[in-house]
Amino acid sequence: MRSASRLTKLPGLLVMTGLLGCSQLEAAESERLPIPEDQRAIAQLNISIAVFDPGVPADPASHRRLQVFPRIREVEALFLPFVLREALVESGEWGAVRVVPEPDIAAELLIYGAIVRSDGQVLELQVRAIDATGRAWLNATYKSEVTADGERQGQGDGGFDALYQSIARDLVSARAQLGEKSLKDVREVSLLRYADQLAPAAFGDYLDSDSDGSFQILRLPAQNDPMLERIERIRRVEYVVTDTVDEKFRELHSEIAATYDLWRQYRWQLAQTQHAEAQRLQNARRKAPRGSFEAMKKSYDNYKWARIEAQELEVWAQGFDNDVGASVEDLESRVAELESLIEDQYAEWGRILAQLFALETGISE
Amino acid sequence: MINPQQKLRTLLLVLLVALLNAGCSNTVRENPAVRSYLDARPVDLSGSWERDYSRGDDVNLQLGRLFRKLNRTSRDQRFSNRPALIISQREASSIVALAQLAEFITRPTVLTITHGENELLVEREGDYAIVCEFYDGLAHGTETQYGTEACGWLGQQFISRLGLPDGTGISHRFTISPDAQSLHVATTVSSGTAGVPFTLNRFYTRFEPLPGEANCIETLSRKRVCTLQGTSP
Repeated sequence: MRSASRLTKLPGLLVMTGLLGCSQLEAAESERLPIPEDQRAIAQLNISIAVFDPGVPADPASHRRLQVFPRIREVEALFLPFVLREALVESGEWGAVRVVPEPDIAAELLIYGAIVRSDGQVLELQVRAIDATGRAWLNATYKSEVTADGERQGQGDGGFDALYQSIARDLVSARAQLGEKSLKDVREVSLLRYADQLAPAAFGDYLDSDSDGSFQILRLPAQNDPMLERIERIRRVEYVVTDTVDEKFRELHSEIAATYDLWRQYRWQLAQTQHAEAQRLQNARRKAPRGSFEAMKKSYDNYKWARIEAQELEVWAQGFDNDVGASVEDLESRVAELESLIEDQYAEWGRILAQLFALETGISE
Repeated sequence: MINPQQKLRTLLLVLLVALLNAGCSNTVRENPAVRSYLDARPVDLSGSWERDYSRGDDVNLQLGRLFRKLNRTSRDQRFSNRPALIISQREASSIVALAQLAEFITRPTVLTITHGENELLVEREGDYAIVCEFYDGLAHGTETQYGTEACGWLGQQFISRLGLPDGTGISHRFTISPDAQSLHVATTVSSGTAGVPFTLNRFYTRFEPLPGEANCIETLSRKRVCTLQGTSP
């Protein structure tokens, strides 16, 4: 219950950081929680992966026909980003990789994903990666298909490891196209965009933005700018909260991975059965004369078994929901709790920073 | 006397209804499993129903009745100098096959009907459940490579019609009695080889299922999980 104990400490920490002035904040933080210094290599950008778009068609009447189960898609939208996260962490190419409930627009590299298809046999994701300067690194559809039962056993990701590896490789390739200066700019723009959100009076004129969403640095704050140092400290505190949220996604992943894999296997087996049945029917010679009871019953039975299989899948979908519903609800409520906490804290930090900026410069917002 | 304003309003209303119908019929044309039911309201058939053997058709009697009717038609047509309708041995066999299929399909003795906000579900013992989803005046059946099922309402009746690739058609017409205690299901089977369809009527009586001793839910990892009434899982 490591994360739970961290969670209980957080409100205290955040209240302290909010109520105390920023000069006291430093001491309070260092006593309570060690905040690691940023010692990453320049290429090791931090990545935020936003919870995926579940890709549920807007027309509810099409769900049954397309065999899309909205509740399961919602769970997948929470679950799959974490599988991608694991692939990126394992690559060792990046700084911190976090799953975030909402897109963090000031992230150094932000990954958006949408589920196009997920049925146990095929996983298709639309993936977009944009850095803090607004540069698009990736905008592609990734598709992976499981072809044999052996390939999908014991991989913990439903047998779609190749898809995540492919995304990880493409990100590294995209990064290789950029020079050290561009990567440095990404990190600086990320910090300035974050600073601008918190203290627009102090940081509103460091960046220029275009209508296409790209950002350029107009000028940089001084190396020892006390306001920027405060912003950096606040961001590190926020990362602690984000890591707690990320920990909740990790817990969800470990709690539901086995059930999710079971669901995927069922769907995969059903797809195989349906495929084999369709082949058998195509190759079968008509034996009973047309219009006879045997011929009509055969035709009826084909429809009946296809429908029973599809309806069985709906029972499994309900079973999946019954299995994982509590874990998902727990995640959703804890994440909502943390989000509301950070929102309140943001307002408080912003107010304090504005006061400090006014005190130090004599300029008020 | 209708004043010009009322006339205009009526005209606009007629135009609107015509446009709506045109829109719906386009959808119907695109997808054979979708039907408009703008002229009817989904009738609530929900409940548990068990077969009432004191009513309904006996398949053999119904078959005899149909043959007698067809022979009478042939005779009448002979007397009226019109071309006679001759029931060939092959057609007779086809009609018997329809009767057998109707009897086979209507075997389930218990129906469980659930009427949700956007879905009507008719669960039948030993058969697939008839599902009809309804949104904004359109009823959505099911379209598969093995057959297409359309559904909808006509007046106070719920109708489900299945078309199979070999030309066999099966329709069920559900009518609930005014006191909601009895359900009439008329099942009609047709094929391309038999000149006439065959209909079998079944009646069902509402019953209250006995409360089970256990509450059960389906799960994927632990299959069916049950708890006794009054205890927590």
